Amino acid sequence: MKKLVAVLAAGLSFAAVASVQAQTFPDRNITVVVPFAAGGPTDTVTRLVAEAMSKDLGQQVIVENVGGAGGTLGAGRVADADPDGYTLLLHHIGMATSATLYRKLSYDTLNAFDYIGLVTEVPMTLVARKDLEPTDLKSLVEYAKANKDTVTVANAGIGAASHLCGMMFMSAIDTSLVTVPYKGTGPAMTDLLGGQVDIMCDQTTNTTKQIQGGTIKAYAVTTPERLKVLPDVPTAAEGGLNNFDVSIWHGLYAPKGTPADVVDRLSKSLQVALADKNVIDRFAELGTIPSPAADATPAALKAKLEGEIARWKPVIEAAGQYAD
Amino acid sequence: MELFSNLALGLATAASPWNLLFCLIGVLLGTLVGVLPGIGATATIAMLLPITFQLEPVSSLIMLAGIYYGAQYGGSTTAILINMPGESSSAVTALDGYQMARRGKAGSALAIAALGSFFAGTVSTFLVALFAPPLTSIALQFGAAEYFSLMVVGLVSSIALAHGSIVKALGMVVLGLLLGLVGTDIYSGTPRFTFGIREYSDGLNFVAVAVGVFGIAEILRNLETEKTRELLMAKVGGLFPSREDLRAMIAPMLRGTAIGSALGILPGGGAILAAFASYTVEKRVSKTPDEFGRGAVAGVAGPESANNAGAQTSFIPMLTLGIPANPVMALMIGAMIIQGIVPGPNVATEQPALFWGIIASMWIGNLMLVILNLPLIGLWVKLLTVPYYVLFPIIMAFCSIGVYSVNGNAYDLYAVAFFGLIGYVLAKLRCEPAPLLLGFVLGPLLEENLRRAMIISRGDPSVFVTRPISAILLLLALAVLVVVFLPSVRKKRDEVFVEED
Amino acid sequence: MKSVSIDPANGAAGALFIAIGAVFAFQAFGLELGTTFRMGPGYFPLVLALILIFLGCIVLVQATRVQGEPIGAFAWRGMLLILPAPIIFGLTVRGLGFVPALFLAALIAAFASTRMRPLMAIVLAAAVTLFSTLVFIKALGLPFRLFGPWLGY
Repeated sequence: MKKLVAVLAAGLSFAAVASVQAQTFPDRNITVVVPFAAGGPTDTVTRLVAEAMSKDLGQQVIVENVGGAGGTLGAGRVADADPDGYTLLLHHIGMATSATLYRKLSYDTLNAFDYIGLVTEVPMTLVARKDLEPTDLKSLVEYAKANKDTVTVANAGIGAASHLCGMMFMSAIDTSLVTVPYKGTGPAMTDLLGGQVDIMCDQTTNTTKQIQGGTIKAYAVTTPERLKVLPDVPTAAEGGLNNFDVSIWHGLYAPKGTPADVVDRLSKSLQVALADKNVIDRFAELGTIPSPAADATPAALKAKLEGEIARWKPVIEAAGQYAD
Repeated sequence: MELFSNLALGLATAASPWNLLFCLIGVLLGTLVGVLPGIGATATIAMLLPITFQLEPVSSLIMLAGIYYGAQYGGSTTAILINMPGESSSAVTALDGYQMARRGKAGSALAIAALGSFFAGTVSTFLVALFAPPLTSIALQFGAAEYFSLMVVGLVSSIALAHGSIVKALGMVVLGLLLGLVGTDIYSGTPRFTFGIREYSDGLNFVAVAVGVFGIAEILRNLETEKTRELLMAKVGGLFPSREDLRAMIAPMLRGTAIGSALGILPGGGAILAAFASYTVEKRVSKTPDEFGRGAVAGVAGPESANNAGAQTSFIPMLTLGIPANPVMALMIGAMIIQGIVPGPNVATEQPALFWGIIASMWIGNLMLVILNLPLIGLWVKLLTVPYYVLFPIIMAFCSIGVYSVNGNAYDLYAVAFFGLIGYVLAKLRCEPAPLLLGFVLGPLLEENLRRAMIISRGDPSVFVTRPISAILLLLALAVLVVVFLPSVRKKRDEVFVEED
Repeated sequence: MKSVSIDPANGAAGALFIAIGAVFAFQAFGLELGTTFRMGPGYFPLVLALILIFLGCIVLVQATRVQGEPIGAFAWRGMLLILPAPIIFGLTVRGLGFVPALFLAALIAAFASTRMRPLMAIVLAAAVTLFSTLVFIKALGLPFRLFGPWLGY
């Protein structure tokens, strides 16, 4: 009985603390961990959103880069952090794929985090060196099937967006091509520009300017509709590939156990940030759009994460490549 | 003449009072943070990056570029004064620069480094302005086979880094290559030599290894003799290089600039080799190769020029292709995107003021550095009169912060301690750290490109000789081997029977 | 075999190369080797490790022929106090926070010199900590907590 009272009292006082917290939250700087090096696309997305959230929350939202091990180090750091809303994680699709790519993680992907909301879904583009023969997606698929021993697909390393998308492409056309991994997008793109490799599938963040500049050729975008920044590039469905749907979605997470009203406050703030004109403009230049307010919610992110873990598991297992 | 109108536009942009101010602030901040021991260019820029976000795009990039040069210069300063290189290029500067400092010529070494950098910066800025597009198309000819062959040339040249036993130097290179392989194999995703520590799955941190084997090992060596030796830098000679020193630096500076400019263009890691390659060349052409490793002027002037020229021309792939050649350039690209400029092949035509403004500011930044640093030399040299037992706890504190700030990874700090120990033990066994560091940066590049070339060629090793650039590079490696190795083996053989160095 | 004299520095260097080479070779055997034309993750390191062992042998052989300078004294006190400094910073920076962690690291390193007096060491460590806090945290805004959860913050 005594114990029960104690528990109840603790629970009450916790609730009281929590509501006090929410009224004053945030009263100091918030740190958003980006599990990748500074300068990359995820870092850029985070910094743009963090700046807009700072304005809304009235406290600095600081970006901390904790790179390493395909984003799992940074995610693990946040999973272990105090669940007070002052340490957050901005991670992309890798959150879902690393659950399968890494067979031993320091955290349980589905149970270690509270969800704040989706941030953006960056579309992918299927691009190739500019002198590759096929002129459209259909003939590219035929070409790839006919030359599967010589067609090379570049990617930026295991777990990278380009790696996932490359796997998805090969699985969509049911053909395994020659995979050429690189350490990062930069070197992979350099070799694509130089015609050293044939195909790559990467985020618009990395490819839009190159496509516009005519230095590489685009065969398809992976979105249901054509992109405003690349109006001439057909969708994969237009080209006859219906099951080739990949986007690099980004989500904002907090450690499990963060008070509900704090999560709520952060989620609201994220929605405000995503409606910020600067964020919209900058995202547009990168070839992406902020998630709509309805998706910048805990429920939407939770559903996305669960769905994506389930979707990628068989693809990764079929490729048989793990990162640990 | 289009070039002149472009340069004029660039100068007009960069020389606006505000941009000049931001350039100055950038150079100053970069120098001040970069000069803190153990904090290299990447860490400095990552730390200072957010400061630039509030500015206009052009100003912010000009300031950032200034930070970059400043940080690089600061890195050379610590390499010379306390043998603490913050990145691979200044590791070479440490070899002879630190020895000059120990002989009381710290001021000369710093001035030589500053002048060499300025000269190289000026020349390579013009190269960038004149030839950026054609140079880019050459750089794109480099595929995996070419990079592999280039790295072979680098490895062969590394022999010159040694001034003791060649076999031991080779051993250190191989050890460095092995250490460079620690981390996840990018082809299979298998972690290698990480002893199950996931924090090392992206490899060992360069700054941790460099600070360990150079800086900490040096501190320990100094502590050894603490009781017997009065003051480390008892005499601090003239602040400025003598006339002979200046004369001796001209040729190395020219050669270093040429080597650095050429290698810096290659986005796949050419700039890494610049300083090492220059050192090799200088040691070979020198009439007094024995001076190297004991404070040779050419050993500072050449690599410093090469390093700065390479840093400058490594902007070419970024500006013309929108592709980062190194982590620093990746940071620059991130900064550009946040400013609303997505770098790509069209930046020069879409944003001429920005493009040429940055190029012009490179030169202005270099000029400011030289103006700023020549008077500061006196101050830096004074630092050496601080008693050593006061200096090294400060060094330890800063290098802890510097290493930790890059990735927020405590394991990088454990690596500092480990490599400090290894470096010290190896130094006691008369093994030199420079070849190890070269091996460390080359290891992953060598293996990656070898395996990539084999994958792309479907397992046909003849690509290395059938691709013309690769074949030429391999011939060059062979030539270096013949010229460098044979006579020294003969000499060595004589020496071995007398006394080992 | 007459009395074999081994140069201690080179002998130890050779032995160290062989030992390190052996560790890497052993580990590389645990990885997939592949073939020369389809190299696995273990191939390249194994080749390097074997080269290192070979070079170590040469150094060892040379050591029996030539005598060099002796190794000289080790800086035990330095090793004992300098090397732990970054480790302690790493272990405590998240728990204790930036300020105490840096203070401790600097303080420990300071005692590596026999000339350092306790009061001087404390003053020095405090000054370094103050300077770094102002520069890195206040001015540059590095995202480290000044005082960590172990201290109840």
